[in-house]
Amino acid sequence: MTLLLKNILAIYQRELQSYFASPLPYIIAAVFWLLGGFFLVAILLGPQGILAQAAMADQAVQMGMPSSPPFDVAYEFNKAYVGLLGSLSMFVLPMLSMGLYADERKQGTLELLATSPVTNWAVALGKLLAVVSFYIAMVLPLMVCQSIALGAAEPPTGSGVFLLSHLGLVLMAASVLALGMFISSLTESTVLAAIMTFALILLLWLVDAVAQGLPGVVGSAIAHLSLLKHFTDFTEGIFDTGGLVLFLSFIGLGLYLTAQSIETLRFQRS
Amino acid sequence: MIEVEHLSKAYGSTTAIRDITFGAQPGEILGFLGPNGAGKTTTMRILAGYLPASEGTARVAGYDVHTDSMAVRQRIGYLPESPPLYPDMTVQGFLNFVAKIKGVPADLRQKRADIAMDHCGLLDKRKVLIRKLSKGYRQRVGIAQAIIHDPPVIILDEPTVGLDPRQINEVRQLIKGLAGSHTIILSTHILPEVSMTCDRVTIINRGQVVATDTPDNLTTRLSGEAVYELEVRGDVTTAQRLLRELTPVRQVTQLGPEHLPEHHHRLRVSAEADRALGGLISSALVNAGLELHELRRQQATLEDVFLNLTTTEPTTGATASPETPDPELPTVEPTPEQSET
Repeated sequence: MTLLLKNILAIYQRELQSYFASPLPYIIAAVFWLLGGFFLVAILLGPQGILAQAAMADQAVQMGMPSSPPFDVAYEFNKAYVGLLGSLSMFVLPMLSMGLYADERKQGTLELLATSPVTNWAVALGKLLAVVSFYIAMVLPLMVCQSIALGAAEPPTGSGVFLLSHLGLVLMAASVLALGMFISSLTESTVLAAIMTFALILLLWLVDAVAQGLPGVVGSAIAHLSLLKHFTDFTEGIFDTGGLVLFLSFIGLGLYLTAQSIETLRFQRS
Repeated sequence: MIEVEHLSKAYGSTTAIRDITFGAQPGEILGFLGPNGAGKTTTMRILAGYLPASEGTARVAGYDVHTDSMAVRQRIGYLPESPPLYPDMTVQGFLNFVAKIKGVPADLRQKRADIAMDHCGLLDKRKVLIRKLSKGYRQRVGIAQAIIHDPPVIILDEPTVGLDPRQINEVRQLIKGLAGSHTIILSTHILPEVSMTCDRVTIINRGQVVATDTPDNLTTRLSGEAVYELEVRGDVTTAQRLLRELTPVRQVTQLGPEHLPEHHHRLRVSAEADRALGGLISSALVNAGLELHELRRQQATLEDVFLNLTTTEPTTGATASPETPDPELPTVEPTPEQSET
């Protein structure tokens, strides 16, 4: 057991180290932060921003329209911003997961891993943990910016919804990364892996759209399987065990498929 | 230590190796010799547990490479065809990582890494990024990662590819130095490598084992036939008749008259190996009044053995003896280099 942990740790460390050695992760993080910062300002202060909406809602109340619901600025801002980070991540995640195995295959280092006393599971888990850590490191600075804005809220808000929504963000990202890792294990080409992962994300969006569009039992059944639906729940501050289970299942599925794919890959490789 | 029995591997409809059987004793260096595309890498990958065999079994240190993969992985060091390196790591960082995943205890890692780097001449490159190393150094790092955990069995797929002659010599010394305490199997298509480093050779061609023996035995086995070339002046028919009368002689052929003075004839005699044959030939000819101008015995080198075992096209020109009693070991094409009598 300790040996297994040591192996996972070794893979994890090496993978994390590799992020510092290549320019690509820096560029990805820089673009993510740039856009994240831009949208932080735009969502809060833009012409259609939360503050503008709040002002309008105030006006409506003053003009004697009691039917409109009370407007919680901090809550609406958090929901909109984390939702946006989720959408933004969808473009970034394929780039993070694309090289996880494709590079190993291209460099021939998969042959080293596959002939070392390390299980495929340990390798996949170590890699996933590393890439999720990197993603968290990307989100953290934006969380700090966001919490500064939230700290100015009057009356002050609790941090529960804020943290829960970001937990949802990380869980969704981990699910997509796990599936992206599986796709990366299927090819030697990082570009192909990125494109296929993005196609998968479009499919997830499609599933969500279908779930919202279809009425009745079928629609709600599909909605239960939609990652985005459960992510939205998290951003709205709804903690649903079903959602947590779904995310963890997707992560488990990604890990399982990756381990199996490496097993069969090395057994069919020509 | 390594036992391979009736191993076959097919990729779809193409067969990479067919019914391969060989083995290596503990402490032995086994050379796996064959031309490119003979199935060497496939066999190495099966031994390392990277590929499954279609049929047959392979055992390393008593464990089946397929069913006991983890046990085998713990006991092998493996250098694949192209060294598996992370270009963005330093030599030391990479070796440390390999030591970790090979299960070297934390307190021994540094020592083992130092030993491996010392063996492979990498000590002054320990802080260099692998990306910046030349091909020869990368190959050395590849060897270092294969020996870092001091495995009982070392599998090296073409370990000297890309090295300069001095480095090749160093690597051969290194491999020899590892023998005894380690069982080593190395594949190569370079002949001198085998005769210099290996205790035994398995020659493989087109996916099949064509011979397994010590380098010395292989050469003597194939020089079971002796070939003499001679130049006589005088009546060639008499000379041929006289030669055929000698007991060990199997065949006498006349070679082309190029570059020969008038009345000179060149003959090739193939015969059973017999040390005294040279004397018999010369005395028979001289006693009959013929002038013997040249008599050479030609001996097979490992190179000839290899070429003969791995070349299926019939040898052309003035090759000796069509009698090939053993189809697996066809006749030797001699090279003119040995003993002038």
